[in-house]
Amino acid sequence: MEGVPPFGSPNIPTTAPEGGEVALITSGWRLAAHEFFSNRLAVVGLGIIVFFIVFCFLGPIVYPTNQTLTQPLLSDMAPAAAHLLGTDDNGFDEFGRIMVGGQTALEIGFFAAFMATVIGTLYGALAGLVGGIVDAVLMRFVDILLSIPLLFIVLILATRYHATLISQSLIIGLFSWQAPSRLVRGEVLTLRVRDFVTAARIMGGTRRRLILRHLIPNALSVVIVNITFLIADSILLIAYLGFLGFGLAYPTASWGDMLGNAQDAVSSGYWWLVYPVGACLVLVVMACNLVGDALRDAFDVRLRKR
Amino acid sequence: MSAPPATSVLEVNGLSTHINLTRSVVHAVGDVSFEIKAGETLGLVGESGCGKSMTGLSLLNLLPHGGHIVEGSIKLSGLELVGLPERKLRTIRGNEIAMIFQDSQSSLNPTMTIGRQVMEPVRLHRGVSKHEALDRALEVLELVGLPHPRERFDDFPHQLSGGLRQRVMIAIALACEPKVLVADEPTTALDVTIQAQILALLDDLEERLGMSTLLITHDMGVVAGRTDRINVMYAGRIVETATTYRLFTGMRHPYTQALLGSIPSLDQDREKALYTIPGLPPDLAPPPSGCRFAARCAYATDECREHEPPLDGAEGHLFACWHPVDGPIERLPTIVPPESVKVPIAATANGRHLLELDGVVREFPVTAGIILRRKVDSVKAVSGVTLHVDAGETFGLVGESGCGKTTLGKLIVGAELPDGGTVELEGKRVFALKGRALRRARRDLQMMFQDPYASLDPRMRVQAILREPLEIQKIGSRQEQDERITTVLREVGLPQTALERYPHEFSGGQRQRVGLARALMLDPKVIVADEPVSALDVSIRSQILNLMRRLQLERGTASVVISHDLAVVKYLSDRIGVMYLGKLVELGNGDDIYRRAAHPYTDALIKTIPVPDPAVKRADIAISGELPSPRNPPSGCRFRTRCPRAQDLCAEEEPLLRSFGPGHVAACHFPLQAPGEAAAEAVADGDPE
Amino acid sequence: MTGYIIRRCVAAVIIAIGVAAVSYALLNFAGGSPVYAALGTHANPKAVAQWNRVHGFDKPLIVQIGNYVWNAVQLKFGYSYKQGQSVAALLDENAGRTAYLSGSALVLALIIALPLGIAQAVKRNSVSDYAATAITFTLYSMPAFFLGLILIQFFALDLHIFPPLVSSNVTSVWASFTHPAQLTLPIVTLAALTVAGFSRYMRSSALDALAQDYIRLARAKGLSERVVLARHLVRNACLPMITLVGLAIPGLLAGNIITETLYNYPGLGLLFYNALQGLDYPVLLAYTLIGGVLTVTGNLVADIAVAAADPRIRLG
Repeated sequence: MEGVPPFGSPNIPTTAPEGGEVALITSGWRLAAHEFFSNRLAVVGLGIIVFFIVFCFLGPIVYPTNQTLTQPLLSDMAPAAAHLLGTDDNGFDEFGRIMVGGQTALEIGFFAAFMATVIGTLYGALAGLVGGIVDAVLMRFVDILLSIPLLFIVLILATRYHATLISQSLIIGLFSWQAPSRLVRGEVLTLRVRDFVTAARIMGGTRRRLILRHLIPNALSVVIVNITFLIADSILLIAYLGFLGFGLAYPTASWGDMLGNAQDAVSSGYWWLVYPVGACLVLVVMACNLVGDALRDAFDVRLRKR
Repeated sequence: MSAPPATSVLEVNGLSTHINLTRSVVHAVGDVSFEIKAGETLGLVGESGCGKSMTGLSLLNLLPHGGHIVEGSIKLSGLELVGLPERKLRTIRGNEIAMIFQDSQSSLNPTMTIGRQVMEPVRLHRGVSKHEALDRALEVLELVGLPHPRERFDDFPHQLSGGLRQRVMIAIALACEPKVLVADEPTTALDVTIQAQILALLDDLEERLGMSTLLITHDMGVVAGRTDRINVMYAGRIVETATTYRLFTGMRHPYTQALLGSIPSLDQDREKALYTIPGLPPDLAPPPSGCRFAARCAYATDECREHEPPLDGAEGHLFACWHPVDGPIERLPTIVPPESVKVPIAATANGRHLLELDGVVREFPVTAGIILRRKVDSVKAVSGVTLHVDAGETFGLVGESGCGKTTLGKLIVGAELPDGGTVELEGKRVFALKGRALRRARRDLQMMFQDPYASLDPRMRVQAILREPLEIQKIGSRQEQDERITTVLREVGLPQTALERYPHEFSGGQRQRVGLARALMLDPKVIVADEPVSALDVSIRSQILNLMRRLQLERGTASVVISHDLAVVKYLSDRIGVMYLGKLVELGNGDDIYRRAAHPYTDALIKTIPVPDPAVKRADIAISGELPSPRNPPSGCRFRTRCPRAQDLCAEEEPLLRSFGPGHVAACHFPLQAPGEAAAEAVADGDPE
Repeated sequence: MTGYIIRRCVAAVIIAIGVAAVSYALLNFAGGSPVYAALGTHANPKAVAQWNRVHGFDKPLIVQIGNYVWNAVQLKFGYSYKQGQSVAALLDENAGRTAYLSGSALVLALIIALPLGIAQAVKRNSVSDYAATAITFTLYSMPAFFLGLILIQFFALDLHIFPPLVSSNVTSVWASFTHPAQLTLPIVTLAALTVAGFSRYMRSSALDALAQDYIRLARAKGLSERVVLARHLVRNACLPMITLVGLAIPGLLAGNIITETLYNYPGLGLLFYNALQGLDYPVLLAYTLIGGVLTVTGNLVADIAVAAADPRIRLG
């Protein structure tokens, strides 16, 4: 530290900066990424998700199977070289069916989570920003929807609609935005009174600017973390629908639908129709939860770091 | 200070403590040795992160998760505590060695009555019946000055004020009459007037109970008058140890010298710069080789950077330095602003002041009700404040927390709007403007915030943070904005590389510089600085204070500095206003306030400030009791409930501001000074001219 | 405190009415009036209109909702034409068994999760903590029926310890209680899923409490670790759990549907499942409403319990 004069005399601006050098060279996102990737479980979780995306969407190219025409002669065959995981009641190859069922499960999960996030974010931001009586009314409505178990709502609506990929995603997405809306509202309420927002207000920043430049970017991490949990919950929910017989119309199927007859399969000893697909389901849901937890910690670290 | 006793109660030798983190090991305490004799008070002083708290926690092996003593010995009256089984150690904790912590809010169990919390150690260590424990608890609560202990016995911590909670924590510590009391920043979270009460209580108790005390603090003022010896810690090491008097008058370590030199004192010459310690304390995972202070030391040589100096010396004065200094530094060179730049303090051309506040009132409603929340009461944050600030002038606002000074600051910059009265800039009521005109007017009033971590958007790079005010105000082309950013950044002493960085990459002091730079971007006419240095460490504080002082002189921007620390306010300000419970009680220049205080509250505030000078004999508690609730402030003079001079008149009639000299006014019926010539007429606008 | 409770109660009533309105609207949207169940799918339009007029299904939706709520308050939930019984009677018949199943599962879950979460927090980052986390995390990510299937395969089909389905002889709460083996698998299934959420939350709640200064002060008093935990940690760490138990009710209700269907245990969940299959709308509506009201009540009770247990709220 040459350049630093011994006494507190004001520095001449051109020499070494009086305030000292700035040490790190990492952006906030990079720091969060570093924290995330140093969490081994999170990396495993991410790996599982990537693996299943590749497996389900590219797998059928490598391992093409018939998934549309029923073949009664081939039904309920045990695993063998021709059918790695045997066949189901309709004679569909189970291994190939796990890929196809995974596609729909992942698609519905992602789509429903995306929709719930968009609705929830807008709704929560509106409540938090407008405040007052509007906020009170909006949030009571959320309380009402949260008081009715989601499975009830979805099942009741499923009695009316012919279950397709789109309708299931829509139903789930339209009724699972309450949690993100609460999160976003809470974030907006705390961010609103933070000093940096006050500073922007004092500079003359418009409402629009405060929202776009400060509130939304800062509330984003909460939303992102929540998406992963929403995906996990949505995949579980369609599994329940499938199990209770309100799954996708034949011959399409999601993992949950494939487990619809699992009870009979278990008692008949057709283990290959239950455990492989069940394990896939659990793994993907678990991976989403792991990634979500790790993301939350990673964002926490970034904001905590002082 | 009692006569030097012979036996040492606590002996610490070569203590080293490490804390294992996920990816690194922090060498929090390295080779620390000291002893405390019976009845003696030892001060352990240093900045945050220097290992002083870890040293305290090591004594009782109460280290946080991952922390452990690596080597060394801790002897309590000859009994070795390091390696003692947990079961044995427990009989010592709270019994022979007791601790009190900084934050009484979080240190008391929120779901247990204070009485039971005090009884707990008595029952445990004395093995007495419930009834006897209760009696003892009442006794110690009485001893620590908790009013009506019997009635408060079943209160929960949240029902007590901060000062009373701290007394309860002291009662817990003293319940078993320990030989050694470890007080870790016992008053840091408290207001100065309460701090003085608690410190006086500790002094008194030590005297009466003959305890040995280890007083851990960052505040040189706190240790100055009440310790026999002081250890100065830096980066996990004790760098100097001496008797208190010797340390303050003949210190040998440059760090001690710099630390003392960097604290603004009340009689600080405003024309002189404060001593600063450049840079930041080192990272202790792992610590640097050589002298740990070398990187920030003005006297450091290659020898210092390569070889660590041993803690050595004679006659009980030890220091670890290759190039020791000799006593306190000479006073620093004057901050000489070029005459051409220096802006004279003056009213504006049309005879108006730059900023005028007239009878400003701000009340926050307290609501209740089942469905419709209706206003039942209000917190009277600011109750009719009148003051003015001239161009080029710095106005200081001082008062305890809850006195309304921060709200007043927000009212000035329009972050809050007044419920009554007016805020005028150059004779215009700027916040009554709308739309474009309001936005334009906001340029002239900017703010610097207290918390350097909350005031910068964590998602924006410094460049974007500094560009934002220009963008909002639509000033200049992008290139012109860039030039302005570069200039201002240089002015606040940050490197250009800072532009691409995010706030989390900066230290607290650097962030505060960014915050100041942002406030300067629009070249405002008035800057409000709310507690600009109270969140910073001692060694960083003077850097920021010097910077603010320099910019004041160079730019001539008027500013309002808000702080609970009178020394800070006095150093930065031309005139000072003292606030108490929403009211301005006294107003005058630095010397008026410091040497000729007319209001008893101002006087008490000055007397309670711990002075970093062992020669200063402190007065007894100058002010008793605590701040009343701003929901129902006392009638008449709001200070009367705590005022030693209060009489019946004070409750009946609110005192008006009276003149005590040119520009010096105070609101008191029984002032400490004789009112000036203009005494008879009440001064309505707080301006006696 | 009283004001707080009154305020919460009023809010709860408002939300409960909202729940009724939303459920009714939802059912109305999904199925309309139960006229086809009453008159058959091929009833002529005139008869349908006539029936609707008699039973009030021609009125504006808002009036229908008002009527329904008014009847529901008097515990009249309409008539199940599919089952030829009043809905109230059906609910009454099945409620006890479901309450037994869910109640046992909830109690079991709390008995396991609270100590487990605290133990994990105390021994954080140890092998046993990781193992417990792995197990609860897997359970947390598992559909209830899949866990149930694994249990059936292992304990019923392989080991023959418990029956794979609840016997049809178990018809009363008393029978459920006196035949513990019959109910073991359903209760364990439902409890396991609840434990997963509870213990994860309890662990982090206990970790938060452990990091508090008052724990350090308790240790500084010389208290043994056991006393520190029992006297200073447990109560403070469990306070947020009260709220979580209130919030767990919707999950339990959903779990009931799955568990009762899987084990063929005659409770409200199975009733709901059968009503779904038979499009028995009055039953669906009634149970949705009751589920919502239970949830609201659970949250209300939890709020009051927290207020009573936490002096910071009680003495405000």
